[in-house]
Amino acid sequence: MTVFGVAHIIQQRQDYENGIERSYRTEMVARVKLAEGVAPKASRHAVLRQEAHREELRHSISHGTRNTVILVAAGLLAGLLGALLLFAGLIATMRRPLEALVSAAGRLAAGDRSTRVEVGGPAETAALGTAFNEMAAELELEASERDRLDRMKDEFVLTASHELRSPLTSVQGFAELLMMDRESLSPRQVETVQIILDNCRHLVRLLNDLLDLARSDAGRLTIKPRPTQLTPLIEDVVRTMRAQTDADRQTLVERIDPQLPLVEVEPDRIRQILVNLVTNAHEYSPDEATIQVIARVADSVVQIDVTDNGPGIPAAQADHIFERFVRGDAGLTQRVGGTGLGLAISKSLVDLHGGTIEVDSVVGRGSTFTVRLPLAPPGAIESTAPSGPRALAEGQR
Amino acid sequence: MTTVLIADDSETILLLMRTRLELAGYEVETAADGQEVTELVDPDATDGPDILLLDAMMPRKSGIDALRELRAAGLETPALIVSAHQDPSDASAPQDLEISGYLTKPIDFDLLLETVAELTAKTG
Repeated sequence: MTVFGVAHIIQQRQDYENGIERSYRTEMVARVKLAEGVAPKASRHAVLRQEAHREELRHSISHGTRNTVILVAAGLLAGLLGALLLFAGLIATMRRPLEALVSAAGRLAAGDRSTRVEVGGPAETAALGTAFNEMAAELELEASERDRLDRMKDEFVLTASHELRSPLTSVQGFAELLMMDRESLSPRQVETVQIILDNCRHLVRLLNDLLDLARSDAGRLTIKPRPTQLTPLIEDVVRTMRAQTDADRQTLVERIDPQLPLVEVEPDRIRQILVNLVTNAHEYSPDEATIQVIARVADSVVQIDVTDNGPGIPAAQADHIFERFVRGDAGLTQRVGGTGLGLAISKSLVDLHGGTIEVDSVVGRGSTFTVRLPLAPPGAIESTAPSGPRALAEGQR
Repeated sequence: MTTVLIADDSETILLLMRTRLELAGYEVETAADGQEVTELVDPDATDGPDILLLDAMMPRKSGIDALRELRAAGLETPALIVSAHQDPSDASAPQDLEISGYLTKPIDFDLLLETVAELTAKTG
C-alpha cells in the first residue's frame, strides 16, 4: 500500500511537470506572436490563460500529493495497529506460562527441588515447561542421592570413630599397664612402649578431630555460648601446655589485659581452639623458642593472639592453612604430630561463635594466629554452670 | 573392701579394667552386658557392689537401660558410665538418670581411679 502510494505520487509529479512544460511552450508561442504583432489580442489572452492554467496545475498537484500522503500514513498506521494487536495476542498467550516458569525457577534456585510447572501455552512455552520439569526432576534426584551419600559418610565416620575406641582403649591401657612396671623393663622396651603410647594419643586426636569434622559437615557441631571470663581459661591452657614446652626449653608466657570483659562463648570449645593453637606453636617452633598468648580488648571484641618466633609460614601455605589436611612444613622440628585437621576445626568453631580467626606470618620471624570473639551482652554475669559430666570427659582433647 | 562391678562387652577391656582396679586395691566383679548386671545386682541387698562402672552401649541390654531398671527398683549405688561417645549428648545419656560420672573411651585410667576413689570416700 505504501509502495503503491509512493508510485502514485511519482506519477502525479511527472504528469504535473509535463503539464507545466506544455503550458510554457504554448505561452512562448503566444508571446512570439505578440512580439511580431500577429493577433495581439488573442495572443495576450493566450498568455494570461496559460498563467492561470499553471496556477491551476500547481494547486491540483499539492492537493493530490497531500491526499496521497494522508492515505499512505493511514495505511501505515493501520498496519502498525494490526501488528500490535497480533503481538499483544501472542504475548497474552505466552505470558502466563512464562510467568509460571519464572516463579518456578526462583523456587528451584531457592532450593525447592520438588517444584514443577504446568505445561501449556504455545508450542515454544510448552516445550520450555517440559524441559524445565525434566531438569528439576533430575536435580531433585541428584540432590537426594547426594544427601543420602552425605548421611552415609557421616554415619560411617561416627560409627568408625566409635568402633575404633574400644580396641584403642585396650592398646593404650595395656601399654600403660606395662609402663607401670617399668623397673622390670629394659630401656629399649620402655622406649618401645612409649612409642605405642605416643601413637595411641595421636590416634585419639585424629578420631576426635574426624568426629568434630563429620559433625560440622552434618551441621551437628553445635555450641552453647554463655558469658565467660577468659582469664582463668587461658591461664589453665598455658599451665597444661607448659609441661610440653618446658621439655623443649621453650618459653610460654601469657599476657592478659586485667580489664578483659566477659565473652559469649562455650568455654570447652575455646579451650580446644587455644590448645590447638599453642600445640601448633610448640610443635612447629624450634627448641628455646618463645610462645606468647596475648589477650586484650580491640574494637568491641576480645582478641587473643598466639604468637611464636618459629620458622613462620610461607604466604602460599598461609592462604590454605585453615583447610583440611593442610599442614605446614615440619621445618626445623621433628615434633609435629598433628592431624592436619586442628585448624580446620578451630575455624569451624570460631565461625560458630560468630568470631574470626586469621594468621599473620613472616618466614624466619614467626607466626601470629589471631582469634576474635564476641563480647557478652552488657550487664551479663558469668554463669558458673558446671561443665558437669563433660569436664570429666575432657581427658584428652 | 570396696567392690566395683564393671560391665563391658569386650573381654579385653574387662581384663584391663579388672587389672587396674585390683592393682589399686579394689575387689572387682564383672558382667558382659546389662542383662547380667540386672541379674547380679539385687536392689534390696546390702552386700552388693559399692560402685557400678557400666559401658553405655552393650548388646542385649545397654548399661544405661540396666541402670534405669535398677534405679526404678530403688538402687542408690553410685554409677559411672563409660562410652565410646566423645560427647555425653551423643550417647543419649538421659538427664533424669542419676549418674555420678561420665568417662569416654579410650579410658583415662588416672581419671577413672581418681573418680572411683572419690566415690569410695563419699560412700565410706
